[in-house]
Amino acid sequence: MSERYDVVVIGGGVVGAAIARELSRFRLRIALLERQAEVGFGTSKTNSGIIHPGHDTSSATLKGRLVVRGNALYDRLAAELHFGFRRIGQLNVALEPADLVALERLKAQGDAKGVPGLELWDPARLRREEPNLSRELRGALHAPSAGVINPYELVFALVESAARNGVELAVDCPVTALAADGDGLAAHTPRGVFRGRFVLNCAGVASDRVAALAGAATFTITPRKGEEYMLDKRLLGLVRRLVFPVPSPKTKGTLIIPTFDGTIMVGPTAEDVLDRDDVATTARGAREVFAFVRRLCPSIDPRDAITAFAGLRAVADGNDFVIGPTSVRGFVNVAGIQSPGLTAAPAIAEHVRDLLAAEGLALVAKPDFAPEVRAPARFAHLAPEVQEALAARDPRFARVVCRCELVTEAEIDDAVDHGARTLDGLKFRTRAGMGRCQGGFCTPRAMEILARRLGVPLHAVTKRGGGSWIALPMGAEQEA
Amino acid sequence: MSPVTTTLTCIACPIGCALRLTHEGRDIVELAGATCDRGAKYAAEELIDPRRQLSTTVAIEGARSARLPVKVTRPVPRDRVLEAVAAIHRLRVRAPVRAGEVLLEALLGEEGLAVVATRSLGRVGP
Amino acid sequence: MLGRMEGDYDVVVVGGGPAGLAAAIGARDAGATRVLVVDREDEAGGILLQCIHAGFGLHYFKEELTGPEYAERFVARALDRDIDVVGSAYVSGAGLDSDGTRRVRVMREGHGIRTVRSRAMVLAMGCRERTRGALHIPGTRPAGVLTAGLAQRFVNVMGLLPGRRVAILGSGDIGLIMARRLTLEGCEVVGVFELMPFSNGLTRNVVQCLGDFGIPLHLSTTVVEIHGQDRVDKITVAPVGADLAPDLSRCREVACDTLLLSIGLVPENELSQGLGVELDVVTQGPRVSSTLETSLPGVFACGNVLHVHDLCDYVTEEALLAGRFAGELAGGVKRPRDNIRVVPGDNVRYCVPHTLAPGREHTIYLRSERPLRPAAIRVGDLVRRKLGFVTPAEMITFRIKPDVLDRFHGEALRIDLLGEPAGPHLAGAEP
Ligand SMILES: Cc1cc2nc3c(=O)[nH]c(=O)nc-3n(C[C@H](O)[C@H](O)[C@H](O)COP(=O)(O)OP(=O)(O)OC[C@H]3O[C@@H](n4cnc5c(N)ncnc54)[C@H](O)[C@@H]3O)c2cc1C
Ligand SMILES: Cc1cc2nc3c(=O)[nH]c(=O)nc-3n(C[C@H](O)[C@H](O)[C@H](O)COP(=O)(O)OP(=O)(O)OC[C@H]3O[C@@H](n4cnc5c(N)ncnc54)[C@H](O)[C@@H]3O)c2cc1C
Ligand code: SF4
Repeated sequence: MSERYDVVVIGGGVVGAAIARELSRFRLRIALLERQAEVGFGTSKTNSGIIHPGHDTSSATLKGRLVVRGNALYDRLAAELHFGFRRIGQLNVALEPADLVALERLKAQGDAKGVPGLELWDPARLRREEPNLSRELRGALHAPSAGVINPYELVFALVESAARNGVELAVDCPVTALAADGDGLAAHTPRGVFRGRFVLNCAGVASDRVAALAGAATFTITPRKGEEYMLDKRLLGLVRRLVFPVPSPKTKGTLIIPTFDGTIMVGPTAEDVLDRDDVATTARGAREVFAFVRRLCPSIDPRDAITAFAGLRAVADGNDFVIGPTSVRGFVNVAGIQSPGLTAAPAIAEHVRDLLAAEGLALVAKPDFAPEVRAPARFAHLAPEVQEALAARDPRFARVVCRCELVTEAEIDDAVDHGARTLDGLKFRTRAGMGRCQGGFCTPRAMEILARRLGVPLHAVTKRGGGSWIALPMGAEQEA
Repeated sequence: MSPVTTTLTCIACPIGCALRLTHEGRDIVELAGATCDRGAKYAAEELIDPRRQLSTTVAIEGARSARLPVKVTRPVPRDRVLEAVAAIHRLRVRAPVRAGEVLLEALLGEEGLAVVATRSLGRVGP
Repeated sequence: MLGRMEGDYDVVVVGGGPAGLAAAIGARDAGATRVLVVDREDEAGGILLQCIHAGFGLHYFKEELTGPEYAERFVARALDRDIDVVGSAYVSGAGLDSDGTRRVRVMREGHGIRTVRSRAMVLAMGCRERTRGALHIPGTRPAGVLTAGLAQRFVNVMGLLPGRRVAILGSGDIGLIMARRLTLEGCEVVGVFELMPFSNGLTRNVVQCLGDFGIPLHLSTTVVEIHGQDRVDKITVAPVGADLAPDLSRCREVACDTLLLSIGLVPENELSQGLGVELDVVTQGPRVSSTLETSLPGVFACGNVLHVHDLCDYVTEEALLAGRFAGELAGGVKRPRDNIRVVPGDNVRYCVPHTLAPGREHTIYLRSERPLRPAAIRVGDLVRRKLGFVTPAEMITFRIKPDVLDRFHGEALRIDLLGEPAGPHLAGAEP
């Protein structure tokens, strides 16, 4: 197969997805290529899910500028794409007297950048608003515009919106070579050659490698690992806002995160690693995270951890985003999108749109661009009468697949309709398997539905594609 | 021949008494640690003819589940368990089947060793 | 499972495992006429349906049955008694009306969602397995890490193998049984790793499931890291000291593609919590009176949802009682409230029930905190009896005759286990 596109986007993370969707407003032929079995399975799945206010980054950097704009774009994006988003506000808390000075500096920086509503709180106010935080804290800076999202939902919704507006998605489709091709580039993959006038490098931690494929190896990525720990539902409601320490130059610090679903998460760590596949959590990471967050909130107990994960920030040398055209014609970097890349993504998409226009891409708006995608049904959140009405109409709503999160067969089917191909894909779309039993109950049911829907045998179902097989057929030797 | 002492864990019931068995060849001289008579019986058997309960599954067609659980009606010689399993796994069953239905007689050529279904499975589909 | 479900019952039982089925039978035999059992699986039987090994029913049926046989007999007994048994029916909520009526909300495949009312309710939801998160084992998150019970379902019901080279963390019974099961299916079980200096499974299972097949049991050892990108490719194990902390200087790697977790069971009490039932922090099950009634009147609990049992026969015995009391209550029988509190004393991790009443015989279930040999039980200063060997793996049942409590005049009855701490008692277990 060999097809010609105006734009070929490499990487189905939040950045590639946001750009593809932004460009789908125009009369363009666009391909979105993702190496893994599903979109969003890179760093865009394994992060803190915070829409940062932006007061902690200097406007001297590109990331410092894009983050504030990105934050502001979220209300509309959430209204159109129906992913969960809530502005719950953030507190940077002072552990030491010196931190109080730092908070004032942060406030001044944020005010100057136009971060809305920043306010310093004294210990009495802090205690009143967040009574479970440590009584040792000396004050806080409140940033009401901070929000939380389920980041994978955002990616799924962006890609769905892009696809509805004509973007062609190819998964299990790693770009292995890039070659000059007329006035553009040809991206070679096991699924064929995708020729594009512009090829956008949105490959996350692999973006320096993809740049090298194009012959534009001008930067290197150092993965910076962050480990996060999800806590038991026992702690629901422990804090109402995001709780941050005072940031250091390298990181925003270790946080207490009331996620969009209400579950409390703590993390991340920040450790530079060599291996780009190193998403292992470590005993040291856990110790560091819990030791630190217990200073913020003593009621958190390491025994509450129900699961953990790690993600890799794509830190480019220079410590800023690397966005722009290169010496290779048609090859554009959108690379080194470290934190706050999730927040910045919608602003990055606008920025790249303008940049491509400047490079000569004609942007003719499509009158029929459909901005909305439907929210997936979330049975557990519906009122009892609504649940009953649904179940009366469609029996699949009365069949529970995941007991911990009350996910029904109808929702699993819906997720498959919207692109889920793996157990993780189902889990991140429906929450099946995210609860206390971590898939103990729902795995067989989810496997059966996936196998039936995809028309494959049970043993062909994977956790997240590739070699992540779950089970083998029994008695292969007996069949012989 | 001088007496030898072996320790065995009685598995005839879930209590699992620790048996100390002194024997000369196949003759038990002394047995300590058994709470009940089954312990003595077990010790003797374990010495002379150790046997194990055996259950596994076999492939079944036309049923709601892919496997039919089965058991051997009497304990199987311990040292022939794998051989017995291999023979059982060669069985092919078509639903419907009733619990207790005999699927194979004289397993390992031994009279009285039958393989029976341990659950009923109705027929689904054609 | 087909079955009739009305809107009103004397007794509704949530969960159709051995506990739920026995409770329904107990209630029926105590005079309740309309009894319903609801189970979320396609058919009743609970965990037993996947426990294809023998070892069930010695007490109750006086013969050794496999799990599915035991379940099938109980379902037949329930149906014989005109008990309504429905499957594919998930109880998503429960409540108490102001007039004392108990309500459950049932999501039933093909039948929509419906509220069912009853005079008494029995909680019999069983338990779930502890997962990797409970231990937080560091490392990657590949496919191939699963609980032993899920593996059991794969193999025994779905006809799938969880992997080829299997390591097992935890020496709980389910893990031991799966070690044998997987060996019989041609998998290589590379070892069982147990944190404690003793096995958490029944001795019988250690002997028959590991010993017979030469599978090593490594006591005082734990898994400290999981490796592999897409699929597990090895684990790191390390011995632990007396404080149970791993000695990382002595760790080693074990190649495997699967790690089964057999690290304990947790009573499944989300529904009970939603109802407002008071839980015991040790058992993680409801606190119950001597009639197995929870802190909410007319709501009873039995089986693994109450406390984790290691033998199904005890589940049945306890559930028959819970059902009987639920049935009596539905029929208007009132019993005097308990007035004696049971206090777990030396070496006792927990006791169930939590309170007693004079004038009746009681069965007390308890677990020791450590292996003891020789052991004895002391009930207040009323009874002292030798027990031989006790271990946390095996629940202790102890009957208190009515005349014993007649001699007791206090308010808190303390139960102690006495004895010498016993070391690892199994020959063949390697450190
Ligand atoms: C622990 C942690 C916490 C974070 N918290 C936050 C936060 O709270 N708020 C915030 O704003 N940001 C946060 N971030 C940063 C944010 O997650 C990232 O900036 C963002 O997800 C980057 O998106 P991306 O699309 O560039 O990368 P990715 O999501 O990694 O996407 C890149 C994609 O490219 C694909 N790919 C790679 N090579 C190829 C190839 N050759 N061919 C085809 N496809 C390829 C990959 O499979 C991947 O799917 C956090 C990051 C980490 C690690
Ligand atoms: C994997 C595993 C293996 C075991 N192996 C053995 C063994 O070999 N030998 C042994 O003696 N014991 C074994 N046990 C212990 C075993 O659980 C008990 O012996 C016995 O099955 C407990 O009975 P139960 O009825 O309390 O629980 P279960 O058998 O677990 O039954 C509970 C039932 O409640 C249903 N349920 C739960 N919540 C709801 C709801 N909200 N709505 C509707 N239905 C619901 C479940 O579907 C289930 O069918 C094992 C336990 C597990 C988890
Ligand atoms: S000796 Fe008797 S009581 Fe002891 S384990 Fe054997 S059968 Fe059970």
